Amino acid sequence: MKKFGFFAGSVLSLAALAGCGGSQASTLYVLQNKPEIDTAMKEFGELFAEEKGVDVKITSCGGDLCQLGTQLQADIAAGEAPDIFVIDGIPAYEQYKDMILDLSNEVWVDDTDVAFSYDGKVFGFPVAIEGWGMAFNKDLIDEYNALPNTVDIVIDDLNTYGAYQTAFAALDAKKTDLGIDSVVSMAGGASGMSWVTNDHNFNSLLSAGLEYGDLSVVEDLLEGNVAPHADRLNQYSNWVNLLFQYADQNVLKTGGYDQQVGAFANEKAVFLHQGNWVEPFLANAEATFERGFAPHGALTTKTDGIFVAAPSWYVVNKQATPARQQLALDFLEYMATTPEGHDYMVNGAGNIPAFKSVELSPTAPLSVSVQEWAAEGKIYSWSQYYFDGAFRYDTLGPIYTARANGTITAQVFLTQLRTALESYPEFLENK
Amino acid sequence: MKQKSSKNSLFKSKIKPFIDKNQKSLVFWGFLAPALFAFTMTIIIPFFLGFYYSFTNWRGFGTPDFVGFANYARLFNGTGAEGVRFLYSLTITFIFAIFNIILLNVIAFSLALLVTRGLKFQNFYRVGFFLPNLIGGIVLGYLWKFIFNSVVTDVSLFFMPEPFLMLADRDTAILAISLTWGWQYAGYLMMIYVTAIQNIPQDVVEASSIDGASAFQRIRHILLPMVAPAFTVTLFLTLINSFKQFDVNFALTDGGPSTQVAGLSIWGTKLISMYILDTYQVSLNPALAQAQAVVFFVILTLISLAQVTYNKRKEVEA
Repeated sequence: MKKFGFFAGSVLSLAALAGCGGSQASTLYVLQNKPEIDTAMKEFGELFAEEKGVDVKITSCGGDLCQLGTQLQADIAAGEAPDIFVIDGIPAYEQYKDMILDLSNEVWVDDTDVAFSYDGKVFGFPVAIEGWGMAFNKDLIDEYNALPNTVDIVIDDLNTYGAYQTAFAALDAKKTDLGIDSVVSMAGGASGMSWVTNDHNFNSLLSAGLEYGDLSVVEDLLEGNVAPHADRLNQYSNWVNLLFQYADQNVLKTGGYDQQVGAFANEKAVFLHQGNWVEPFLANAEATFERGFAPHGALTTKTDGIFVAAPSWYVVNKQATPARQQLALDFLEYMATTPEGHDYMVNGAGNIPAFKSVELSPTAPLSVSVQEWAAEGKIYSWSQYYFDGAFRYDTLGPIYTARANGTITAQVFLTQLRTALESYPEFLENK
Repeated sequence: MKQKSSKNSLFKSKIKPFIDKNQKSLVFWGFLAPALFAFTMTIIIPFFLGFYYSFTNWRGFGTPDFVGFANYARLFNGTGAEGVRFLYSLTITFIFAIFNIILLNVIAFSLALLVTRGLKFQNFYRVGFFLPNLIGGIVLGYLWKFIFNSVVTDVSLFFMPEPFLMLADRDTAILAISLTWGWQYAGYLMMIYVTAIQNIPQDVVEASSIDGASAFQRIRHILLPMVAPAFTVTLFLTLINSFKQFDVNFALTDGGPSTQVAGLSIWGTKLISMYILDTYQVSLNPALAQAQAVVFFVILTLISLAQVTYNKRKEVEA
């Protein structure tokens, strides 16, 4: 650390000698994790750069091509740590807490409910709110309902396992009439898609049907105490099997993001197991069909809500020079409080803003749907990140993939899932 | 006159060689310096730093504490799921490497035989076989991922009711990595074999045909012993690179699909390089990853030393 300080110091003094002055930082480096908003964010960065007369460098590192954590560590190791970077939850905060600045006194803090807090202090600027559920293609469902001799599918009733079971079977029987390849477009976790299963889908087990912020299931499972929730786990595993059964098998077993979302975009599947972040992809594919989110059918009882939260937060690097820290704070404030910032968040990035003062509404249908569910208060938490990343990816991920490929039976799937969850405390101990 | 000549001879015998020698070494070091600098900065220093980190609890940044052999102890006493995964990755890497070494060298040697027979357009074939080597591994991986996921599946429908998903099964996924990488690398190995075959003195070959050796006998008793130095090189290259395989593995399968080992579902195609990287970036345990890397380095060094020693003994002089 000393050495690093010395090195940083000498670089700084060199910079000062070169005539940069020192008090006014000239560059802001932002490292963010959404490749799909790269262009919009860079345009917004330009606005800020002009306003302040500085350079803004924005690097986007995410999706299945680039790991933000790796890039961040590489930057830190190279002595070029970003001034603003992204954390996705408590583990990430704990890993980098030595470099995260307290933002409690920023003006935008009172304007949002979903800032990242830890020990009563605010550390993260909410990037957006996001949500996922079962995205549906309403045009295809209407088309199905217009066919003779069929059960009617009522979208508003799609909120139990039973309702989905009936709807999936009915749609599957009319695949040729509808011109679809499969009912659901679902990724099974191979080819870098395991976040769909071991993060998003897994969360249904943790929070579906529970009040927002209710951690009762999570807390038991974190202690490896699965028995009280055995029935819930059983229902959940049926839901996974149902999704896998009616998914396009190519996409399920080997498909990447493009294949999964592409099938929905090209109206080859009625349902998509993804969130509102797919909208830029759908827009690119010129998808014009009417769409929205329905709840997951993870339980036999009614779960009338979708999964909504701030997925990630911008944090400011407190090891940067004071001038650069100030510039970073100004950047976040500019985003949260100016019309340019609001325009960027809503129209540029297509985000659902996390700030109450923003009066713009997103135009993308799935984002509108998330906003509507949120406005009605019918939302469930994101609790998957309470579990360690390596546990989700290395322990849970392969179990889903094995089931998707048919390597294991539904019964073995349930057993392995249960064993894995029961061994969680042991996993943490060995970590 | 006499003095001058002695001076001259002194210059010739002592001083000039000295300057010449130093000039040579100046030129020598001048040319070597940039490469040596780059090599030191990117290989030597990180290597020793990594070695040091493997004995600490380093987290990727900050000042680490010394923990002795704790990381190594954890590797070798790995119990439960972690131990299974590490052993599995090592095993699958060995199997992959052995299979790959044989496959690649058989293909490359066969191609080399083909393009040294004086066929029409043989230079064109040589270029063609070599060309994939100019494509980067990541690009190649995504390219072949498309082929395996979209082309092979469609073609397979002519022969079977369900599409053949090469990347959905552990064994065929490993084969897919091997094929993809072989497509890239065989051309390069072929060029090494071609050079070796062309360097075989023609008199030996002629003598053998006059003596009535069959084609097979020529290959067995002349060609193979004479290209043995090439085998030393190509086997070394395929061995090292098979064990270190990462880019195609990453782009093509990213560790999937999963497989069943000891009652656990684990990622089926996570070769050791990817395993080490995941210890770093998913398990967020850089120090343990370093220890794994050191163990991997030692294993690889031992194997490749053994291979080179063995192959050297098989080489003959023309």
